Amino acid sequence: MIRTIRRAAICTGLGLVIQLAAALDWTPLTFIASAVIGLPLILVGALLFLRAVWKSLKSGGPP
Amino acid sequence: MLPTQLVVALLVGVVLVVLLTMGARPLAAHAVGRIVLLVGLVALPLLLSVGNLSYGVSQSSSTRFCLSCHEMERFGRSLFVDNRQALAAVHYQNRLVPRENTCYTCHKDYALFGDVKAKLNGLRHVWAHYVSGVPAQIKLYEAYPNSNCLHCHDDSRRFVEKDVHRSISSQLYAGSVSCLSCHRIAHDMTKVDAHQFWQAQ
Repeated sequence: MIRTIRRAAICTGLGLVIQLAAALDWTPLTFIASAVIGLPLILVGALLFLRAVWKSLKSGGPP
Repeated sequence: MLPTQLVVALLVGVVLVVLLTMGARPLAAHAVGRIVLLVGLVALPLLLSVGNLSYGVSQSSSTRFCLSCHEMERFGRSLFVDNRQALAAVHYQNRLVPRENTCYTCHKDYALFGDVKAKLNGLRHVWAHYVSGVPAQIKLYEAYPNSNCLHCHDDSRRFVEKDVHRSISSQLYAGSVSCLSCHRIAHDMTKVDAHQFWQAQ
């Protein structure tokens, strides 16, 4: 579970860094990067985290 | 202008994610910690992301954003030409449209889903810019609709009191006669190339 949570956090962190870079200068390229790479990375991070929690609950508790 | 609050919020989000990554093991061991992880790794980043993208969408309507592609630079310069007949220049120089959203104000449809259509067209521009290549001559995807002009000029005194407008008003509203058939020059590229610009005193 911990490994999956860390993977989720890395995805989320990368997504946020891309969004931060885009927010510093909005151009068509940064907008696309933010929407097509940044947001999906955050969604993948969220899904990974929720999957880890779901698996942990199914197996009967925290690691 | 830099969206300071947004940048700070995103920066805080990144720092929080790093801290939560380092403290994942102890936090995951108890219920409150898992809620902290849920908020810090899922809810907050999603909220920040939606906020950031929504700001990005609003920025994509700005004149600066449109003109950031080099193929639009000449159209940007056409806002400054010294020609009282050129529509883009007249509207920009006389502040008939907001200067910060000049392109968007005239080039978005005011019908239902006009904003969505404009944004989808924007994606087509981006595709052309980065992937398929910019055509040698830049044209509108479809004929410029009168409704865009009439959205502002419809009941304005200068428009209504012109005899010629009154005489063909039904055709103008039906779109069978284009406003551009009389007001021919939208962007005066000849004067852009000749460097004939209006200078404010």
